[in-house]
Amino acid sequence: MSEFDLSKKVADRYLKREVLGEGTYGVVYKAIDTQTGQTVAIKKIRLGKQKEGVNFTALREIKLLKELKDPNIIELIDAFPHKGNLHLVFAFMETDLEAVIRDRNIVLSPGDIKSYLQMTLKGLAVCHKKWVLHRDMKPNNLLIGSNGHLKLADFGLARVFGSPDRRFTHQVFARWYRAPELLFGTKQYGPGVDVWAAACIFAELLLRRPFLQGSSDIDQLGKIFAAFGTPSPSQWPDMVYLPDYVEYQHVLSPPLRSLFPMASDDALDLLSKMFTYDPKARISVQQALEHRYFSSAPLPTDPVKLPRPAPKKESKASDVITNEGPTVLSPPRKSRRVMPGRDGSEGNSLQGDKFDDSVSVRQAAGDNTGKNEPVPMSLDFSLFGLKPPNRPTITSADRSHLKRKLDLEF
Amino acid sequence: MAANFWTSSHYKHLLDQEDVDMVNALDKEKGITLEDFKLIKMNMTNYILKLAQQVKVRQRVVATAVTYMRRVYTKKSMAEYDPRLVAPTCLYLASKAEESTVQARLLVFYIKKLYADEKYRYEIKDILEMEMKILEALNYYLVVYHPYRSLSPLLQDAGLNDLNMTQLTWGLVNDTYKMDLILVHPPHLIALACIYIASVLRDKDTTAWFEELRVDMNVVSVPRYF
Repeated sequence: MSEFDLSKKVADRYLKREVLGEGTYGVVYKAIDTQTGQTVAIKKIRLGKQKEGVNFTALREIKLLKELKDPNIIELIDAFPHKGNLHLVFAFMETDLEAVIRDRNIVLSPGDIKSYLQMTLKGLAVCHKKWVLHRDMKPNNLLIGSNGHLKLADFGLARVFGSPDRRFTHQVFARWYRAPELLFGTKQYGPGVDVWAAACIFAELLLRRPFLQGSSDIDQLGKIFAAFGTPSPSQWPDMVYLPDYVEYQHVLSPPLRSLFPMASDDALDLLSKMFTYDPKARISVQQALEHRYFSSAPLPTDPVKLPRPAPKKESKASDVITNEGPTVLSPPRKSRRVMPGRDGSEGNSLQGDKFDDSVSVRQAAGDNTGKNEPVPMSLDFSLFGLKPPNRPTITSADRSHLKRKLDLEF
Repeated sequence: MAANFWTSSHYKHLLDQEDVDMVNALDKEKGITLEDFKLIKMNMTNYILKLAQQVKVRQRVVATAVTYMRRVYTKKSMAEYDPRLVAPTCLYLASKAEESTVQARLLVFYIKKLYADEKYRYEIKDILEMEMKILEALNYYLVVYHPYRSLSPLLQDAGLNDLNMTQLTWGLVNDTYKMDLILVHPPHLIALACIYIASVLRDKDTTAWFEELRVDMNVVSVPRYF
């Protein structure tokens, strides 16, 4: 019963620092825990104006995070009311996977990608073992601490599953990470939806850009089918019975290899198993973790050695680099990698040159980078005068609309 | 919740009966005996049930609400935490935690309808304030497991899954919430105990089945509290 201690915690315990951002249901600020000296992030939860007490989403997050303690899941350190608002204290996390993927100064070796994916799946495995669906897996919700450890965060959409006949809303996940069964409007789904999203993240790590960027739900399915081919009834027998099923023009899948030219055979095999259409046939998180991809060379990089974006304030690049061996020394703008294969006629021959220096440097530094997988390319949007597209999220409009329309348990 | 009970906070926080039967010092001063303490909690269980019938929530929301209320009083006094406010607030919080939210104004409306007595009169803002205090008293642990889930597979396994037996045991499980059993025993044992009582009441011989389960009948005979 020691956890139910009687000492009243006051806001004085935490020294408030700068605001980190605006979350879904309140302000997040940085603070120092005077009891432990630890840097923490505090979410201040605004009480709803509709007089409905502690925010439902926040409550859901508290409820589940109290049950999920794991190195790969964000830790809820403390919670306390202060001036009528509920405050949640989390371990402070330096950055997130989206920032890593976007940072053009970062080279991700195959071992690095493996390590990030492994930590993601480990966190997810704990959720699924405890019958919790995350339902909002995306790089932005995978936080990275100063020791390189990746942790699943934002359990505001997560919920418990396991009752066989429970119907849930399918309006979960940011669109680009939504599994095909959700896009076809299924209301009975399971952990496979998180696996699909994890596969999208895996692909994103390989490509250094979001893999399937649909502009609407219909377009999202189109993008999925363009990549993997329109599913045949034998591939996914239940598909035609899904509520929002529509027939798509039949397209054949290009070889997966052509979409991920840099990935190893093991990586492609795992990826294709995670991107299986039929949720019943899709690989489970636990099976994915046991896949030979994780035991074959190169082994996953030690989290401490993973490349992370340089801290914003002081751009002392040397500090960051020391751990991971030398990188390109030219100024950041120049070190930007160029898109291969666009202007040249033979894309493949060009690619080799592009990555020469970074690959060789990393391997010379004795990193556990294998040689069978070249470093994946990163996509430079500015090259084409494009901005990175806006990432869709789930809007509150979506939620209320759907809740009304379907009268489902959210 | 279908999840794993053995790794849950619920399991880790199971209490000994003696710890549950501790009347808070402040309440003792007011002359509340252990007997009173139990009766008030039973009364508040009924209160939660009545309210729940009005706002129409599932049985597990009621069960969770009662569990919250009983947990609160293992740590807080009734002198400081008025049961007449704690009971509806626990129902309010449980409805959110079990994903079937009931609006606070609806609760306030039915409280007024059920009780003319001034002492029961609480407003939305009182409930919302108490919600925060209850969350703190519960140390933000909100996931509770109930015997209902294990009931039907167990009955089926024992070959007792006819309507009559199911209804009887289900009702018995409901009755267990009039006591603090849910704070002390794992839910599946409570379910087994209810099946045992039901089989005795209906003259069904379940000795062989219980033997095969290899459960300690001394533990299953918990219903001596009945």
